[in-house]
Amino acid sequence: MSWADRLLFVDRRIIFLFVFVGALVPIIAPIGLGVTVSPPVQQVFDRIEEMQPGDAVMIAFDYGPSDGPELDPMANSILRHCHFRGVKVVGLSLFPLGGVDMAIARMRQLADELGAADGVGWVNLGYKDGAQAPMKAMGENIASVFPTDANGVPYEEIAMLEGLRNYNNFEMAISLATSILGEWWINLVNAQFGIDVAIGTTAVSAPKYYAYMEAKQTLGVIGGMKGASEYEELVERHYPQAKGLSRTATMGMDVQSIVHLVIIFFILFGNLMFIVTRGKKEAK
Amino acid sequence: MKRQIPIMLAIIASVCPVIAFFFPDRWINEWFNQRLDAWMVIIASFALLLGIVSMIQVNIHKIRRRARGWGFSIIILVTFTLMAAFGLFGGQGERADGSLYPFTWMFQFVFSPLQATMFSLLAFYVASASYRAFRVRNVEATLLLIGALIIMVGRIPLGTLIHPLVPDIAEWVMKFPNTAAQRGIIIGAALGAASMSVRVMVGIERPYMGKS
Amino acid sequence: MPGQRSRNAGVPGSRRGSLPGDPGWGTLLWRPLRLVALVYLALLGTGGLAGVWVPAAAQDAAAPVASEVFSPAPEGHIPPPELPLDFSVVDTPSDDGSSLTLRWDPDQVMQTLGVATIAALTFARRAVEETEFLPVGRARVRDGEFRDAGLESGVAYIYRIGLEDEDGLLRNTAASAPLVPQANFFRTHRTNALILVLLMFGLVVGFILAARKGIDLFIRRIAGLDAIAEAVGRATEMGRKILYIPGIISVNEPQTLASLGILGYVAKLTARYGTKLEVPNIDPLTMAAAREIVKQSYLEEGTPEAFNEDMIHYITQDQFAYAAAVNGIMVRDRPAAIFLLGWFAAESLLLSETGQSVGAIQIAGTAQVTQLPFFVAACDYTMLGEELFAASAYLSKDPLILGSIKGQDMVKAVILVAIVVGVIMVSAGVPGFADLFSAL
Repeated sequence: MSWADRLLFVDRRIIFLFVFVGALVPIIAPIGLGVTVSPPVQQVFDRIEEMQPGDAVMIAFDYGPSDGPELDPMANSILRHCHFRGVKVVGLSLFPLGGVDMAIARMRQLADELGAADGVGWVNLGYKDGAQAPMKAMGENIASVFPTDANGVPYEEIAMLEGLRNYNNFEMAISLATSILGEWWINLVNAQFGIDVAIGTTAVSAPKYYAYMEAKQTLGVIGGMKGASEYEELVERHYPQAKGLSRTATMGMDVQSIVHLVIIFFILFGNLMFIVTRGKKEAK
Repeated sequence: MKRQIPIMLAIIASVCPVIAFFFPDRWINEWFNQRLDAWMVIIASFALLLGIVSMIQVNIHKIRRRARGWGFSIIILVTFTLMAAFGLFGGQGERADGSLYPFTWMFQFVFSPLQATMFSLLAFYVASASYRAFRVRNVEATLLLIGALIIMVGRIPLGTLIHPLVPDIAEWVMKFPNTAAQRGIIIGAALGAASMSVRVMVGIERPYMGKS
Repeated sequence: MPGQRSRNAGVPGSRRGSLPGDPGWGTLLWRPLRLVALVYLALLGTGGLAGVWVPAAAQDAAAPVASEVFSPAPEGHIPPPELPLDFSVVDTPSDDGSSLTLRWDPDQVMQTLGVATIAALTFARRAVEETEFLPVGRARVRDGEFRDAGLESGVAYIYRIGLEDEDGLLRNTAASAPLVPQANFFRTHRTNALILVLLMFGLVVGFILAARKGIDLFIRRIAGLDAIAEAVGRATEMGRKILYIPGIISVNEPQTLASLGILGYVAKLTARYGTKLEVPNIDPLTMAAAREIVKQSYLEEGTPEAFNEDMIHYITQDQFAYAAAVNGIMVRDRPAAIFLLGWFAAESLLLSETGQSVGAIQIAGTAQVTQLPFFVAACDYTMLGEELFAASAYLSKDPLILGSIKGQDMVKAVILVAIVVGVIMVSAGVPGFADLFSAL
């Protein structure tokens, strides 16, 4: 086996090592690269921006801890945006493995960093099993699906929820989704009840939502850490009070940038070795 | 009868939602469809018991046989018992003094990091798979490689530094070629799923009862 | 009744609605069709259930008559018009009688009231016999309509619209005339979908019948399915096991059902050649169905003693814990062949890349477009989208199933023609054509 062959079939652990170092370096020494905002994220931001104080948004925390690094930062940014805008947030989860914990953690963070009080600026309704069934039922009556909030307070007794009976009373629904849940929000809730639906999802899942966006079935897509960093940028640009708040996605983009470069390097390197070995074989 | 009743149930359960989609009848929707949804949740919950029994049996057999990796089976059974006990008897969430109940503690500090770790492994696997897959073997593979490079550069801030148009080109690739390919596959797959459903509805194919 | 309006122009007492004694075309059609549906369900063997169905006549008798519904409200119940906003309340078309729709002209409202397009209107409703208005929702001026759902059938409702002025003072319109939501027989806006469903059903059943008559139906080669025998043969020669992963969604997913069909074929081969088979499951219902399928295959091959329930086992319902466990099986047992067929998400690459690292021949198939690139990169064979659903026809060569695939192909051809014609018509600016295919 020639040296080029050996390099062509390089042990995957060497690639892993480069990726690991590429991820580690920007964490130790942040680079601080700029952020360019893409239209799918801008559209979601604009939709919330045009709301009036007192309007309501439903946010479904349909993800678990595994997707947290990508979806937590976008949840934080959206919650901050709604808070600055005076928009009421009704959080819930239809994802069984940790969705409700994600909702609790994000709303608690909002309360800690901006003083948004439970029951005033936001309410967490908790988790409901069945996904499609509660999605459909909320089109008629949310209280029938979530008779109490996550703290056990009856729906009717929460002043913030007065007048919020079903999707009609919300300006939009945002699903921070993993798995198939985002598609169900589009195919069931948007299609059957007409409410605007926006999707925040992992970078891996984002491409499939472009087809829905082009068909106007979702008004925008926030894809992965890149999308989250764009939302962080937009919130900071429009609201000076957001300056100084954590921007974990923007920091994460440094890591993503370097790892992308490592992968690009290996792809180009692999192709170089491929061309060299092919040339040698043809020469023989 | 042993065969006919399940087939008949399957036909009814699959036809009624289709009827309800076109005919807004309250009886079918409220009495039948909503009941079917509820039954599904109940059946799935009880099926979980079946799964748990299977998991315990398989791991006990492994330990008895001293099969390869039987030590892991002990870990599974112990952690399963512990988490079940914490969940059933140990309380959940925060105590009054702000400390966490064992179940929540395990969830936050064991389960969550393990989940994030598994997902983050994707970055490593994507790197090794890309290294193998993206080769300029022919014209199509070269186009694929170029598309991948555009997206990878366009989705990071560095793309803007190279040229301000790079993110726009990446967005164009996502919006048009990507969407076109996705739609082609989605339409085909949806028709395939619909055809499969018709076969199940008319009872030609019955994988749910052991007949493929 | 669809299209019936109760228009409020700020004139108390103006009434329009269903004429007393006029059952409407929907009701006239509904009665006999409901009877047909009843007979149909009874024929399906649901006589017990059908007995619970309240006959149409009984329901109609229970509903209030139109003259009761549209009698004028007592004097003094409708407040004087304060907000000069012209709106109408109409019965929501194509619904089950549980909603009414309020409509207004955004341009007119903006001109008359001098408000912005995004100004929020609030809606309040009360039943005729009630005195208090309840808030039911909000909408933008530009929306032009608001649907109030969750209403009781047979009850007449009255509406008013509110708008906050610049000083934050809420001004309400005069109350609308009462209107009873009407149940409709058919969701007319889904006619296009019904046509497509009937076309699909007709073509699929038609080709099934044609196949029964012995017409030869061709199905193209699918490399991934041809490779199954090769993969099983390789595992048999190497004396290693086969790992079959039927995706991560339950049996309500068609891809899982398609995967179970292929599992039956694989199990027959493993039963025939005495190869070890392991099917780790994420879903208990899928596990139960997979057990039945594999058991049946071993029975049909005459080797029931080789079947062991532990071959098909449950791991966990958590996606990544499942991936970790299956990766562990791959690394420890080094299977010779791995099948990844069904609905997959982010774990697809975790599984297939580990399988690749242990040198297994891998056959994958999914209709999840975002996971296909991962399978293509890491597996030897990948079935794309509909190929997975065609597997049972391809493997069994059952003319009935082949017929259904042929029917599906014809529908696809119809859709392709519709797309081409649609592109031409829309590009040529033919009005209304695109609406024929509007979202449902």
